[in-house]
Formats: sequence, C-alpha cells, structure tokens
Amino acid sequence: MTYKITKGLDIDIPGSAEKRIAEDVESKFYAVKPTDYVGLVPRLLVAEGDNVKAGTPLFEDKQNPGIHYVSPVSGTVHAIVRGEKRALLAVVVKSDGKQESLPFPTLDIDSCDIDTIRQTMVASGLWTLLRQRPFGIVPPVDSKPKAVFVSGFDDSPLPADTDFAIQGREDDFHAGISLLARLAGKLYLSLDGKKQRNSVFASVKDADIHFFEGKHPASLVGTQIAKIAPINKGETVWTVNFQDVAIIGHLFRTGIYKPERVIAVCGPVVKEPRYVRLLSGATIRSLSVESTIGNNVRFICGSVLSGTAVDTDGFLCTSCDKVCVLPEGDYYDFLGWLRPNFKKYSFSRTFLSGFLAQVSSSSPKFDFDTGKHGSVRPLFVTGEFEKLTPLDIYPMQLVKACIVGDIELMENLGIYEVEPEDLALCEFADTSKTEIQAIIRNALETIRKQS
Amino acid sequence: MFIRDFFDKLKPDFSKGGRFEKLSSTFEAFESFAFTPNTVTGGGKRAFKGSHIRDAVDLKRTIITVVVALMPALLFGMWNIGHQTSMAYSLEWGFWQEFWNGFLRMLPIIVVSYVVGLTIEFLFAEIRHEEVSEGFIGTGLIIAMIVPVTIPLWQLAIAVAFAVVIGKEVFGGSGYNFLNPALVARAFLFFSYPSHMSGDSVWVAAPFRYAGDAVTGATPLGQLMASQPLSASALDMFIGTIPGSTCETSVVAILLGAILLLVTGIASWRIMLSVVIGGGLMGLLFNAIGANEYMQLPFYYHYLMGGFAFGCVFMATDPVTAAQTNSGKWIYGFLIGAFAVLLRVLNPAYPEGMMLAILLMNCFAPLIDHCVVARNIKKRQKRWERRIM
Repeated sequence: MTYKITKGLDIDIPGSAEKRIAEDVESKFYAVKPTDYVGLVPRLLVAEGDNVKAGTPLFEDKQNPGIHYVSPVSGTVHAIVRGEKRALLAVVVKSDGKQESLPFPTLDIDSCDIDTIRQTMVASGLWTLLRQRPFGIVPPVDSKPKAVFVSGFDDSPLPADTDFAIQGREDDFHAGISLLARLAGKLYLSLDGKKQRNSVFASVKDADIHFFEGKHPASLVGTQIAKIAPINKGETVWTVNFQDVAIIGHLFRTGIYKPERVIAVCGPVVKEPRYVRLLSGATIRSLSVESTIGNNVRFICGSVLSGTAVDTDGFLCTSCDKVCVLPEGDYYDFLGWLRPNFKKYSFSRTFLSGFLAQVSSSSPKFDFDTGKHGSVRPLFVTGEFEKLTPLDIYPMQLVKACIVGDIELMENLGIYEVEPEDLALCEFADTSKTEIQAIIRNALETIRKQS
Repeated sequence: MFIRDFFDKLKPDFSKGGRFEKLSSTFEAFESFAFTPNTVTGGGKRAFKGSHIRDAVDLKRTIITVVVALMPALLFGMWNIGHQTSMAYSLEWGFWQEFWNGFLRMLPIIVVSYVVGLTIEFLFAEIRHEEVSEGFIGTGLIIAMIVPVTIPLWQLAIAVAFAVVIGKEVFGGSGYNFLNPALVARAFLFFSYPSHMSGDSVWVAAPFRYAGDAVTGATPLGQLMASQPLSASALDMFIGTIPGSTCETSVVAILLGAILLLVTGIASWRIMLSVVIGGGLMGLLFNAIGANEYMQLPFYYHYLMGGFAFGCVFMATDPVTAAQTNSGKWIYGFLIGAFAVLLRVLNPAYPEGMMLAILLMNCFAPLIDHCVVARNIKKRQKRWERRIM
C-alpha cells in the first residue's frame, strides 16, 4: 500500500554525502556505550586488560540478565570509562586488527525453530539491536511483539542513501528480514514510494511492504507504525534499523559477528561529505572529518533533528547511519528579532527567508548551526505542531500532559504511539524553544518505571 | 562591536554574586532585546539528544510581527483623533496638524500603558527569577488602541495594572493566562468607570487648552442603541473617519494588519474567518427576523462598526487565550462572531458586544478544546477495545 504524508517538513541542509565508493575506515579503538540504550542498568562482565573477541559480552543488563552487550571487534579491553556516581559510560576496546569473532552457529532460516533464533540472538548480542515500542528499550528476552517494523529509507535532513549503504550486503539484509519475520510472526518493511519501487529492498521475501511518499517524517518508523498498525495500550512492537537487519542476517548466514555499517559523513561544513564503511562503535577521529570552519563544530550521530551529540574524541553511537557535522551557533545576533534576514531558516513565515522559501520554487541555501535563536518561553504559539505531526495525536496537548505528569491523560493522548524522535520537528519549529523530545523521553521513562 | 562590549562589561555585575544581582532579569531583558542570545541547543550538555537545529523564529519575532501589524491602525488612529477634533470644533486643520494633534493625544496613553505594564512585568520577573516575557509589548499597545481618547490617565494606569496582575501574572505570566489581558483592561474600565467609557461625550478630544463646552460625537453603535439614524455611511465606517476608540475605527487599516498576520502565519486564519462567518450569519438571522430597525441593519454593517474588526484580527486570535485545536478554533471563532452581534442587537446595556463575546469565549476555549481532544481520546480507546475483543 502507498501512504502519502502531507504533514511534515523537508529541511534542505547543504552538504549531503556523495555517493562514490564507501571507503573502509579502521579505528584503533571501539566503544560500547550503555548511555546509548534507554533504561539500561549495566553490570560489567570484563576488566581492563581482558582479551575479547567480536561477540564477547562486555556487560549485561541487570534488569534483564542474559541480554549481552558485546564487543564489536577482537582485541583487549582498553578502558572502562565512568562518569558521575561511577555510572558506566563506555567500555573501550583496543582492536588487534584481526577481527576474530566468537563462533556462532549458522542456521537454516526457513527450517530452524524460533527458540533457537531467539537464543542465538540473545547469546550473540544481536538482541540488543532490537528496540521495543513503547519506551524505546531493548525488549526483554521473553518479549512477544505484535510485529516488527523496519524503515528502509531516510528522508530526514541530510538524508543518507539506504540503497547505497546496503550495497554488497543484500543477501544479509534479505536473510535478516526473513529471520525477524519468523521470530516475531509479522514484519513490515516501509520504503520510499518515489525511489524504491525496484530497489533491493523491494525484493525481500516474508515482509509486508508498504510505500511512503511525501514529507519528512515519512521515513520515521513511528510515522509508519501509526499509518500501518497503530500501537494500542498493552501492545508492543519491535523496530530494527535496516543496517542492523543486515548484521543479524550476516551472523546467521556465516556464524560471524561483524557489526559492519556504511555511514554518511555529511553537513554544511564538511569538506568532503562521503560514505565510509566501518564497524559499530568506531571513533569519531577515525572518520578524519575536515571542516571548513575549524574546530567550533558539533558531531551528531544520527539525524540533526533527533541525534546524539558526540565529542570529537568520542565514539559512534549504536545503530548510527550518519554523522552530521554542524557549526556551533554560539554567537550573539544583533537585533535578531527585528532584522528581515535572508540566510536564516524558519518554518514560520515571519522571516523573509522563510516566506520566500515557501512561495518560490527555487529553494535558496540557508545557514544552519546549533544556535537556539531565542529564549525559552512557556508554550505560546498554537497550530505549529499540528502542521508537522502526521500522527493522529494532539501534539501540543500531549506535550502539556507530559509536562504536568498526568499519566492517564498521556495514555489517552497516545504517548505509547510516540518516541521522542516522532516529535522532533515540533521541537525544531517551536517558537518557545522547549526541549520537547526530552520531555517525551522523561514521561515515557516515568510510565515505564511505574509499570 | 561596541554595544556587545558594553553588555559584556556589565554582565558580571548583574550575574549571580554581582553587585546588581537583584536586577538580573532586567539586564537579561535588555541584553536579549539587543542581541539574540548565544545559547546553543542542548545548552552544551554532553551527549545531548534532541533537535540540534532550531527554527530562527522566537517569541520576540512573533510579538514584533504583531506590533508591525498594528502600525497601520495606530497611525490611522492618530490622524483620526485629530481629524475628529478638527471636525467637531470646526477648526479646519490640515492633514499634518490633525496627525500631530492626534499623536500628542495618543502618546501619553501609550506611554502610561507601557510604563505601568512593563514595570509590573519586570517586577514579577525579578521576584520569580524568570526572564521578562515580551508579551506585553503587544498587549500594552493594544490596550492603548482600544480605549476612548479622553480616558483619564490614572484610570488607564489602574486598568493596566489590574489587567497585568489579575489577568496575567497571578496565573504565572505570559502564556499561562486564560483571558486576553488587553480586554481585561478594557472590561475593567468599562465596568468601573462607565461614564468615561460610553456615551457620546468621550469619543472626541477637545483641542488643547480649550475651555468651552465639550462637543459630543456619537459612535455608530451609540446611535443605534439610542435608536437614532446613523450619521456615518458604510464607506466612512470602512475607512474609519468616525468617532470611536482611539485606533479601532478604520477597517481598512485593520485589514492591512490582518494581511500581514495571515501572510506570516502568526494569527489563525481559522479564527478570523470563523468570527466573520459567525457574525455574518447572526446578522442575517436578525435580518430575517427584522423586528426592529437594529435587526434590519444590513449584516455587513456589524463588521464595520465598533471593535468587531479589531477584535477579530488582533484579540480573538491571541494564541494563548484562544482555542488551541484546529477544530476548536472554528467553534471558538464562530461563537465570538455570533455572540458579538447577539449582544449588540439584543442587550440594551452594552453597546459593544465584541469585548464581552471574546472574554466569554476565552472562558470557554479550554472546554471547547477539551471536547475536541475527547473525541480523539474516544477514538483511541475504541481502537484499544477492538483489539481486546
């Protein structure tokens, strides 16, 4: 089926990655970060100096014993990074360059039984690539979802080309899809209705394929779930990143854990926006990004609308498809509220730039940075959020219910149908500069902890 | 840049531990007035997760757009004040003399409104250790624009203080109020000092240093109320060369502002359109009944008289006090238009129905939204139940 998404916004940021060859990048160090996972309470399983292989458990979840978070490479545990109150921030592994994996059983996907799939996924750490909605957590081992949802395209700002990223791993991807479909009983794959009718994604077996057209956030799995089969209270679904599907397929086909990803390195200040092939958890430095404006930039794992900021000497986050680099916006803007301004991007038409962008067809190039462009105020303007949310919810009312912490109202207004990223555009456009995604996450965590 | 250096030099004194720590909100207000702050998304938090880019719009930009939209009505109003004086007292002033006289009449009203209102705003911000909200920049001007030109300034000052404190600050300040503060001020004046707010003698200012008897000038609504024939034609009322509140007589000037608000998307077209529809339908209904002369008045006259146009464009659309859902906005606007005309025609005590209609619907806006949202909730619960069965 084809769905047309009319509510939303495509933000055109210059600096998309060029589709040449994806060059291989090797990093000396790799890290697995508990902070990438919602609600994870880690129990460390290794010590500094331990030898590990790809697939060796580094820590497990105290609340879900048995779910292992594993090393992406072979080598030695180099450092255990702790933060405030000794919270575990990262386990850093120094690669020995050999890339040896623990041996895992290969399975015949069509005939093996579901419990074997489940056990292998848990033991190999592949289980941690699954996300459960509501709450965005790694699902408990005995989780029985309604279905699995996979989004096969990216239309967020600075989009990464998923067809290009999956090149060479088509068989892994197809195997992963079949496997997850068997494991969960039902798998929905959503593709770009304009570009992907004949892509490698469209030729998968065992998946229910739906096409999406229109504006961002069409590519967000939350939008797709809402259109295809919205989540009801008490139900859970899984979502999996498309490259993670290939990693899962690879292990079951070859018995080797190899968390390979092709990620786009992009952004308006990147000298050569391009694709690189690397392993999960590599360092930002290994990307050797050259910026045109020096060091005052921010590295973002994921979309600029919902991703995670990473230090220059930090590590990639889990399930990351792109690293966006933006100039920091820490400058004062003289009479910023008064001047007409042609270079600043605004969804509202209060700036000549935003007005012209909406009435003229040739889209001018705007300057994008991390500036907040104003002071924080109570939620004031109405009607903005509704234009940007394709879900059947009242975003303003939901955010207010989250702020006051009324759980019953949140449930009624559809909190289970959203993850923070689904309201990312609202946060972007909000006149009051509220941190909406943080509010949604806190609300979800409050509910999760109470239930 | 030297202005930036100036603020940077003063900043330590007004920050925590500085000499003027108690005035930090005041300093912040002036600083952010001059410069959009240099804050970044995530506030420099490590591993911040959220939107890293932000829209260029902020509340200051929104409010200043409203102020710009008010300008045509304000400038016309200034001229019209002088023009009415000139006509009533047969002075045969020229255009600029009329404008200058109106300007001198209007200036103290604006100054009093701003000074009283902003002082209270700053005071509350300092007490609460919050940033000063820019909301009153719009409200303060609107209050000055909807009072009679002869308003005693002390009454205006009390009304503004009442509106800001009771209409807004007690609920938490801009963004939390449920009544439009400008209309609270006007309603306060209307009910506290009725003799200065209605009748025929308050709408035309006497020339400065004039000692004789005041000349009266009746508004169209006043004439209708007293069952007198209208002295102004529809065209006069449309252009606005009639006695009335300082800056709400000219429908043309208000329409110019409306165009700006609609093009920039600041005001809701749903509300504006539904107010017009509501008022029109109610007017047509009265035309159909036609029991008295007021009822027989062509329906579109209601758009041209009194504060209908100004209220529709600038006050019904206040996002804080209006309905917040899109379907709610239709109901809210429609009822404002309908009630305004209903009150005008049927209630002999209040010549102007718009103010009361908007305040009434301000009170009902949350209820309207509640009902709209309840439908969404019901739909969702039905979906849950279907799954369980």
